[in-house]
Amino acid sequence: MNCSEFKKYSLLIDKVLDGDASSKERGLLSKHLAGCATCRAHYAQLKDSMAMLNLLMTPELPIDFTKNVLEQIPKEKRRLFRRWTAKHPVLATMAVCAVPMSLAVFAANRQSASQAKNAKGIVLTKASR
Amino acid sequence: MEAKEKRLIKKIKKGDHQAFAEMVDKYKNKVYVICFRMVGNKQEAEDLSQETFLRAYRYIGQYDMERKFSTWLFRIATNLSIDALRRRKPGVSLDAELPGTEGLALEAILPDNQASPDEKMVQNELETAVQKEIQRLPEKYRTAIVLKYLEDLSLKEISEIMDIPVATVKTRIHRGREQLRKYLIVLRGEKE
Repeated sequence: MNCSEFKKYSLLIDKVLDGDASSKERGLLSKHLAGCATCRAHYAQLKDSMAMLNLLMTPELPIDFTKNVLEQIPKEKRRLFRRWTAKHPVLATMAVCAVPMSLAVFAANRQSASQAKNAKGIVLTKASR
Repeated sequence: MEAKEKRLIKKIKKGDHQAFAEMVDKYKNKVYVICFRMVGNKQEAEDLSQETFLRAYRYIGQYDMERKFSTWLFRIATNLSIDALRRRKPGVSLDAELPGTEGLALEAILPDNQASPDEKMVQNELETAVQKEIQRLPEKYRTAIVLKYLEDLSLKEISEIMDIPVATVKTRIHRGREQLRKYLIVLRGEKE
């Protein structure tokens, strides 16, 4: 490399390529590039490498990609439930207890209803005597 | 963030599959580009993209609505890809910088490197060569280059995705660019 100020100008080149350089700095660089083949080549090669990246095509995903992702979700449901129960332990306990409790209440109601019926029966039998 | 996207995310948080499908459709190609350019293999990139969305769905509760959704999503994709790369090569790191050996592997890769690549390479071959060059970049430079030049993201977004300061992102982009330049001159058979 034949440029005595290569380091300085390669930093400036980075700044220009990043879009961070002022118009004064850009002017400074183009003035230098006009007279320096080394930095000119360096700058052109960097620009070409970036241009090369732009030539890349976006690869295509299969059409059913979204469908496939969604099909994986039901497996996640149990996790969601677990997450919910971990977050709301009181509600979860209440929900679990609610089932036998409602059965108990239901059974108690039935029992008292049949007792009432029996009691009625007794009354009736007494009356029929 | 745009209001429409916010509504969509609220629905996803409630477990709305249709809303989630819309989100997948909106971002799948960008996520795929990140994964593909990071790992360099279509099937693996597809699996990683799928895993990215499944994780996004699973952890959507942890997503902060005040931040940009794409940043959060791309971060998942980037981290999964890097994990996949690290799992892939136990021991030998192809990822390390190879000072002084720039281009040697590429010459081996390109069987017909006496021919002028500029003139003779058809799009497909050029694609393959460029993809291989990206794959040769050390992983941290590769990530920065992919996010900057293939996803067109701002330095600030890249810094959030990679969880490093903007100044570090810049340094990595500069080094990545310089590395690509060296690969390119070898590819063209030019002298430095």
